[in-house]
Amino acid sequence: MILKTRLMSFASILSLTIAASPSLAAGSNEGGHGDGMDHQMMHPEIGEPGDPATATETIEVVMNDNYFEPESITVPAGATVRFVVKNEGGLLHEFNIGTAAMHAEMQPEMAMMMEHGMLTETGMMRDMANMDHSAMSGMDMDEMMASLEGHPNRVLVEPGETKELTWTFSQDTELEFACNLPGRYDSGMMGNLKIED
Amino acid sequence: MKSIKTEMLPGASMTRRGALKLAGAAGLVTVFPGRKLFANVNQELELAVEPQRITIDGRSSPALAIGGSVPAPVLRWREGDEVLIRVTNRLDEPTSIHWHGLLIEGVMDGAPGFNGYEAIQPGDTYTYLFQLRQSGTYWYHSHSAMQEQLGMYGAIIIDPKDREPVRADRDYVVVLSDHTSEAPVSILGNLKASPEYYNKGRRTLVDFFRDVGRNGFGATVQDRLDWSEMRMDPTDLADVTGYDFLVNGKGPKDNWTGLFEPGERVRLRIINASAMSFFDVAIPGLPMTVVAADGQYVVPTKADEFRFGVGETYDVIVRPTEAKAYTLMAEPLDRSGYARATLAPHEGMVGPIPPQRPRATLAMSDMPASQMGGMDHGSMAGMDGGSMSGMDHSGMAGMGQSSMSDMDHGSMAGMADAAPQAVDTQPVGWEQAGTPPGARQLTYADLKALKPSGDLREPTQEIAVNLTGIMERYVWTLNGRKFGNEEVFRVTEGDRVRLRFINDTMMAHPMHLHGMFMELENGETERKPRKHVIMVPPGQTVTAVLTADEVGEWPFHCHLVYHMASGMMTRFIVEPKGTELSSLAE
Repeated sequence: MILKTRLMSFASILSLTIAASPSLAAGSNEGGHGDGMDHQMMHPEIGEPGDPATATETIEVVMNDNYFEPESITVPAGATVRFVVKNEGGLLHEFNIGTAAMHAEMQPEMAMMMEHGMLTETGMMRDMANMDHSAMSGMDMDEMMASLEGHPNRVLVEPGETKELTWTFSQDTELEFACNLPGRYDSGMMGNLKIED
Repeated sequence: MKSIKTEMLPGASMTRRGALKLAGAAGLVTVFPGRKLFANVNQELELAVEPQRITIDGRSSPALAIGGSVPAPVLRWREGDEVLIRVTNRLDEPTSIHWHGLLIEGVMDGAPGFNGYEAIQPGDTYTYLFQLRQSGTYWYHSHSAMQEQLGMYGAIIIDPKDREPVRADRDYVVVLSDHTSEAPVSILGNLKASPEYYNKGRRTLVDFFRDVGRNGFGATVQDRLDWSEMRMDPTDLADVTGYDFLVNGKGPKDNWTGLFEPGERVRLRIINASAMSFFDVAIPGLPMTVVAADGQYVVPTKADEFRFGVGETYDVIVRPTEAKAYTLMAEPLDRSGYARATLAPHEGMVGPIPPQRPRATLAMSDMPASQMGGMDHGSMAGMDGGSMSGMDHSGMAGMGQSSMSDMDHGSMAGMADAAPQAVDTQPVGWEQAGTPPGARQLTYADLKALKPSGDLREPTQEIAVNLTGIMERYVWTLNGRKFGNEEVFRVTEGDRVRLRFINDTMMAHPMHLHGMFMELENGETERKPRKHVIMVPPGQTVTAVLTADEVGEWPFHCHLVYHMASGMMTRFIVEPKGTELSSLAE
């Protein structure tokens, strides 16, 4: 029964994502930013995706099991920062920019994706054949994948991979960068992201 | 009158000359020929073992203390440190100290009769010297004469030489124990004279199961049982009752308290240092992130509660966000009391004590197949009385924890006329912890080593470890043989070995191997958790693999102290490569 409730909420998260993403719902996906619009629309204070070409700063972030280096980051207000995120650990990690509340919201979703096999401790399941389909009635796999990858404020980085994320910070907001895979945030895989005026 | 004998000198170092002189005096030179003894010692301390009175919830009780306190002082070291510890025996009986979970030379392991180590005689001092090859949460305790029952236990924290893979703002040790004023020797005597000494009703249960064998389960229950008369305490859940359950030496009223600021990460190093108790541990309202098991890091995993056996440890991180008091509860399986502590922003704050968890009754599935017929072991199933009348036996197998909502044990007596659904609230099966609806209990399957194993070879040999016993005589054995007449397990250095634990009794046994970690086979391939104690539930089979890379003659035993004392121990011998009998014969 509990499982059912959680599945329902997963479904509602997905439908919210889809509803809030006109480009995706319309079947066209230009630029790849649209599918994460929900976060931006709900949280304009965290800033917005930036253009790597106009980045004023590059910050290298190393992920390990289970911590980030550096442990905290300071950026100037209004800056566009290119984050180069390298996973030197043996587990899958996320680099996610948001408020503490956003991270708290994200964690149950990630836990559910892991429960259903979309994510494992070490990677992302690209071959959907192994997934538990029973839980996903009426949902398109592409939509699922879009939800998995469609947050412009985060990257999922598998062991050995390096990914980039460029972000334009706006006003002075208390932000954190975090890994929201199950148990990681609470055991300390997060850091303060300070915006300096 | 009594002076503190403990002296911790962090960072102290000895001159080489002084060290050699001391080494000579302690007779250690012969132990490590050719080594530069003590030259690198950077942690040095003295610990005296002596009788002491302790006060629990205002009552005074006799105890044995290491280093002047119960529990003994927390020993905090760093991986790579070489530590020197002088232990002086101020008792009038032999003693010993074993460093539980440490990878260590056999003679320093501290188990009398093994690896050339001998008990420390009254008045004598033994000098331990070893280098720390690992990090994590461990503990130390007496390995003699059931002395840990009286207070000889304490925590060891070894900080990693590299970065901690977890981060916490606070770090507390939570040592759980079961204390009694009764002398362990007399407890064991009572158990041997009459295993049901601490528990009425066992004999009736023997009869009950004999009848089950004859008439079948349902018929027996219906035809024979007069539960209200039987006063069944499930003795299979605990041999000994009447304990005070302690957190860091404090009783439930003393209420050990750990402070936090809301939002902080608090690391709790929870150690089951009891003599005989399995605990269900939870902090209602505060989910735990389990980050280590038996001192070894695991992939962080969320749980609301866990059950652990004697000797096991879990490191968890909690993140209380509200400025209120949270209660840490540790309930023994027989629910004969509880250990309690508080996490709060200020001293003196008190959180609610949750209602007592229901006590599980054993299911037929807890019975080893071998006992289903003959029942010569006096199998000790406990059927908890009140709720059994009018029960629909056909439903037994399907009863699960999902339905055990907030059961009030106190109301059991009057349940004879309760609605049928009430029957479902009685948890059946050893595994049932009375987990509240929606809460998640940690299982062994959740444990994944943070770092993959370096040895993925398939075992080339398998050792069957039958957990056996004759309850009527309180004899507990391995493969049917008592320690002293034990079946020795013998492997060669470097061997990859599978241990198959087959629990042929109706009690759970926390099986402890000294000297090496066992990799629990829990469905993982590369990330099997490394354990020094493996809990084997009644009637179940559990397997583990290990790489026999520590040469020595290692104790291998049930960590329930009275089981060990009555014979449930053997030698696990790792012979150096090239010296095994087969190669010598060639």
